[in-house]
Amino acid sequence: MTLVASAPAPPAAPAALAPDGAGAAVRRTLPALRSFASVAAVTVTVLLLASVVTFALGALSDSNPAAAALGETATPADIARLDHEFGLDRPLPQQYLSWVGNALTGDLGRSWFTTIPVADSIRTALPVDLSIASLALVLAILIGGGAGIGAALSNGGVVDRAVTLVCSLLGTLPPFVIGMALIVVFAVKLQLLPAGGYVPIQADPLEWLRFAILPALALSLDVAASIARQLRTSLVGELHENYAVGAEMRGFGRRRVLFGHVLRNAAGPTLAVIGLAIPLIIGGAVMTEKLFGLPGVAQLSLQAAEKGDVPVVLGTLLVTAVVVVIASLVVNLLQVLLNPVARRGSGATGAAR
Amino acid sequence: MSTLVALWRIPSARFALLVLAAVALLAVFGGALAPHDPLKQYTDDVLQGPSGAHLLGTDYVGRDVLSRLMEGTRLSVLGAVEAVLIGGLLGVPSGLVSAWLGPRLEWITLRISDTLVVLPFTVFAIAVAGTLGNGLQQAMIAIGILISPIFYRVTRAAALGLRKVQYVEAAELMGATEWWTLRRHIWNKVLPNVAVTAAHATGAALLVVASLAFLGLGVTPPAPTWGGMLSSDLGYLAQQPWAPIFPALLMMATVGSLNLLADAVREATGATTAPRRRTRPTPSASREEQRDVVTS
Repeated sequence: MTLVASAPAPPAAPAALAPDGAGAAVRRTLPALRSFASVAAVTVTVLLLASVVTFALGALSDSNPAAAALGETATPADIARLDHEFGLDRPLPQQYLSWVGNALTGDLGRSWFTTIPVADSIRTALPVDLSIASLALVLAILIGGGAGIGAALSNGGVVDRAVTLVCSLLGTLPPFVIGMALIVVFAVKLQLLPAGGYVPIQADPLEWLRFAILPALALSLDVAASIARQLRTSLVGELHENYAVGAEMRGFGRRRVLFGHVLRNAAGPTLAVIGLAIPLIIGGAVMTEKLFGLPGVAQLSLQAAEKGDVPVVLGTLLVTAVVVVIASLVVNLLQVLLNPVARRGSGATGAAR
Repeated sequence: MSTLVALWRIPSARFALLVLAAVALLAVFGGALAPHDPLKQYTDDVLQGPSGAHLLGTDYVGRDVLSRLMEGTRLSVLGAVEAVLIGGLLGVPSGLVSAWLGPRLEWITLRISDTLVVLPFTVFAIAVAGTLGNGLQQAMIAIGILISPIFYRVTRAAALGLRKVQYVEAAELMGATEWWTLRRHIWNKVLPNVAVTAAHATGAALLVVASLAFLGLGVTPPAPTWGGMLSSDLGYLAQQPWAPIFPALLMMATVGSLNLLADAVREATGATTAPRRRTRPTPSASREEQRDVVTS
């Protein structure tokens, strides 16, 4: 989807101050340490705020365990008893602290209906989403990277225009429509792949791939489009830089310049786009789960939302936020490894996006 | 007004404006113009293809697809517009304030916007529906809140460099109030960027609204929406593989026009002249141009 892709792309790194003399080593490690600290501060703050938002949703909710479990027949006495049992009669700050404290130890409370620990339900459902989202990410990088490089190589040519057109068209469709098109083509017309269902990856990797490839493809195309667009833009920009022109003048082939020199520099902004796309992929996984009938976190959350099972809903939201933050951190780390300049300055702001 | 005239000269913008005008017309009068009652079930003609009586065919309980599309435009478009308005109302003032007051508020507002970006739309909307109840208003407010960081960042980026621009300092030296400078100098520079963002965000919000309707959130059936129609088509793909095409095409036309319009607005008003760190030939004038200037 286009929403977050239209959010600001990577901060342009400020020009690095060339380290000189003996203090260079100190000067090099000190900013790294400082940026590590600021990344940690940002991450902790974001997680804290996310937990506050999540808890606030629960606190604003007027559903209670008695009404959820017993329905209309719940008497005030039942409500008070169950509220006490789930600790809902305590003051809100105390509830929040115990909720967060338990969440830190991996305990997200119990479902109001089944009294199954929320963490257990999420633990069985999460691998479905994570495996499909990772496959989608790999596909998105392969497809988007290939298309972006192809477009940059034929700058202004047929491939370039085709890629640009397909990317803009993909951006105007909700991801589930792409999934429906894939179902029609591969499951209904060609009867090649199943239209729904799931086999855990531990049980049978090949069978898993058969079930996972369509959802992952449906999920990846959107992100692939934004990767392709960004990669093309930054590649074309980099190819005009002096070092690229110079390398070409010295007789290196176009491909050698592209893969040897330019790609590494163009990858930074593209990685930032991938980082921004992670919430989209996780959120899109919800759609594909529904579309392909996968037993993932979204089904859990949707069913819980229908019944008003607040602990499960809050648990899934919190876990999703944590997953997105961790994935963004990894992308951020890759960015830093790729581009030492990004270690300064942007470390503080680019962390948890 | 002059901006509109300038926009009209760009062919792609003219096309986009025409499409959007048609969609707006449908949103207002669609229900009245529809040839059939969008909820009436012609039980004898279930899952029919396009014909004289039903121009775009009928769905699985025999409702007229064209009428449902026309009637569904209203809820789909209104929902998206409402979400973007909420996002803009939250994001633009906070962006201005954070750029204007400088580092005092900067850190925490940035972190709040980081947090909202981390929450995926669909998961958050499900959580809102599960805790605050399932309804169009709740869903739109949820989306609006999640959209607001985009406005916040764009506004902030556009306003950030302007604080130190000479004419702003000159105005302050001549005794202009902060409010006057903000309205007179800053707002004019920020507005084009906000307009571009709003166009993009409306397109994106349309898609999110459709996605939520697909999940059964927001609008409750049988009231038609584009997303809801797509989701009911899903069960009958084997019989009617072409059925999703009509709502999807309408959605593509709307969202595509909004994107074209955004690019044209940017071209016509020079919205990209917002302070940027590097100026570099970026041939595709697409949305990647909205570089953040957080680092400065």
